[in-house]
Amino acid sequence: MPSRKRKREPERQAEEERSGAPVRSLWSGTITFGLVSIPVDLLTAVRPRRTAMKLVDTDGHALGRQYHCSKEGKKLDYDDLVRGYETDDGKMIVITDQEFESVAPEMSADIELRSFVPLDQVPPLYFQKPYFLAPAGKSAKAYVLLAETMKRTGRAAIGSFVMRGHEYLVAIVADNGVLRLDTLRYADEIRTPETIGLPKRPKAPAAKVTQFSKEIEALAHKELSVAELEDQEAKKLQSLVESKQKQRDDVIHPKGAEAAEESEAGDSAKVIDLMEVLRKSLSKSAVVRTAEASEPIDLAERRAQRAARSAAPKKKSASTKAKRKAPRKRARRS
Amino acid sequence: MAARAIWKGELQLGKHSIGVKFYSAIEDRNVRFHLLHEKDRAPVEQHIVRKDTGEDVPKEEMRKAFAVGPNTAVILQPEELEQLVPPESREIEVLRFVPASAIGDQWFERPYYLGPDGGTDDYFAFGEALSRKEMVGVARWVMRKKRYLGAISAVDGYLIMTTLRRAEQVVSFSGIEPARSATPQANELKLAEQLVKSIEADFDPRQWQNEYRERLYKLIEAKARGEKIKPAPVKKKRAEGSLADSLKASLAAAREKKVA
Repeated sequence: MPSRKRKREPERQAEEERSGAPVRSLWSGTITFGLVSIPVDLLTAVRPRRTAMKLVDTDGHALGRQYHCSKEGKKLDYDDLVRGYETDDGKMIVITDQEFESVAPEMSADIELRSFVPLDQVPPLYFQKPYFLAPAGKSAKAYVLLAETMKRTGRAAIGSFVMRGHEYLVAIVADNGVLRLDTLRYADEIRTPETIGLPKRPKAPAAKVTQFSKEIEALAHKELSVAELEDQEAKKLQSLVESKQKQRDDVIHPKGAEAAEESEAGDSAKVIDLMEVLRKSLSKSAVVRTAEASEPIDLAERRAQRAARSAAPKKKSASTKAKRKAPRKRARRS
Repeated sequence: MAARAIWKGELQLGKHSIGVKFYSAIEDRNVRFHLLHEKDRAPVEQHIVRKDTGEDVPKEEMRKAFAVGPNTAVILQPEELEQLVPPESREIEVLRFVPASAIGDQWFERPYYLGPDGGTDDYFAFGEALSRKEMVGVARWVMRKKRYLGAISAVDGYLIMTTLRRAEQVVSFSGIEPARSATPQANELKLAEQLVKSIEADFDPRQWQNEYRERLYKLIEAKARGEKIKPAPVKKKRAEGSLADSLKASLAAAREKKVA
């Protein structure tokens, strides 16, 4: 949207990932809960789909987007651009960067919790994007206290915070001892059956309700089946890519090609980073995995492997490795 | 104004088939801007160019490449990508029903209202059955050349299909036991629960507005009339002290608020 800085963010992030710079949290701030404050780091909770592709030409040269002036036909840099709003009567109102800044939400490092609501009262329609909150600094105790209290009371906290010039309405939910922050949609962004123009709800014929209840019972289970939710497209795409790579068919080395399509931000490195934080501040026994229940991302094991590879093997790393085996199996079964 | 359906499908349930229309449940309220050249206010055009030479590349010479390493990728030819497109179908396959609590909110991606296509009896009967059972259906279908996973639920008798993220995208935790030093004391838990109770409420989304968007519209309107708006910043204080002290002070403040 409006801010220029925001627009440049993804590129800079991609740059850092390539160069192997340390992964930053998306945002750092403080949950304020009455007069209690809990410093936290915000990390993405969703991994990108493994279907993202880059744009190249037939010879494999990296392609990118370039702005041109429609009047002069010449190339433009980002700094040559302004944003205009077209009014209903066709007038173009230019809004300058200074003007955008004058209405931007006040910079704040607080996630202010306004109220605690029963979690089951928040309709799925409202959930937009999940993030994890990791305790920062010495906040572990207050963090655990908030998570435990929300679990005991079955409530989610509703609050708001400002990130990159945007104000977000959020729900904070306790999930297995970790606090998750879900951005929420605003009420005026949600349509209703009336605004869509759906027919009025009649009284459903009882005989048909019974028939459908039976159909539901026939397919009823207690849990999701993760196998049903796997990314079949990504798997097909990857097997095609692997077979081409083996045959050295169409293998190229593009430099800095831009993404072919806009994709949801996020990456697994950040998830691993979150585990590092949680392990240090909360627990030594934490195990993180994706819902597909494949390899759990286990930092202790990774570190042990790294240590074993690099220097003379230490006793400690060997024992850590052995201990890790049990939870790993458990994670796979569930 | 009635919304337009974006797709039509057939919900397959045993021997039943329910015709449904998809409507976005989300109304995009973002303020949309045009990018203009600052100097002459002319709209900009986006060209796809070679990064090294800056030369324009025609559409027929563009390819998609899948990255396999930091600087290695495999080009996928148009006919290969075509083969990956799933076959078109109107069928929405319902795989299973699970209790609503079995799907965490981190799975939810984008909601659609389903409306009846043709007769309304089956549509509302299924909605009613789903509500009574307090269950959610897991479904998959192909829409506009893409495969989707979704969760069907009933709200006030109407069916909602929320697309789901893929299993590989969703991260979950297990077995987190806080270190002893981070385990809260019984008195702290009691105070924290009291504090939660002091600001507990029902979920009422209408009380929250996107104030930034409102300010932006006001600014645009003012500029259209040739006026200007001045911002008014606010500052806040934060208390320091032990966790129990902060909890007690917060409770006292919350009580005062309730009385007032």
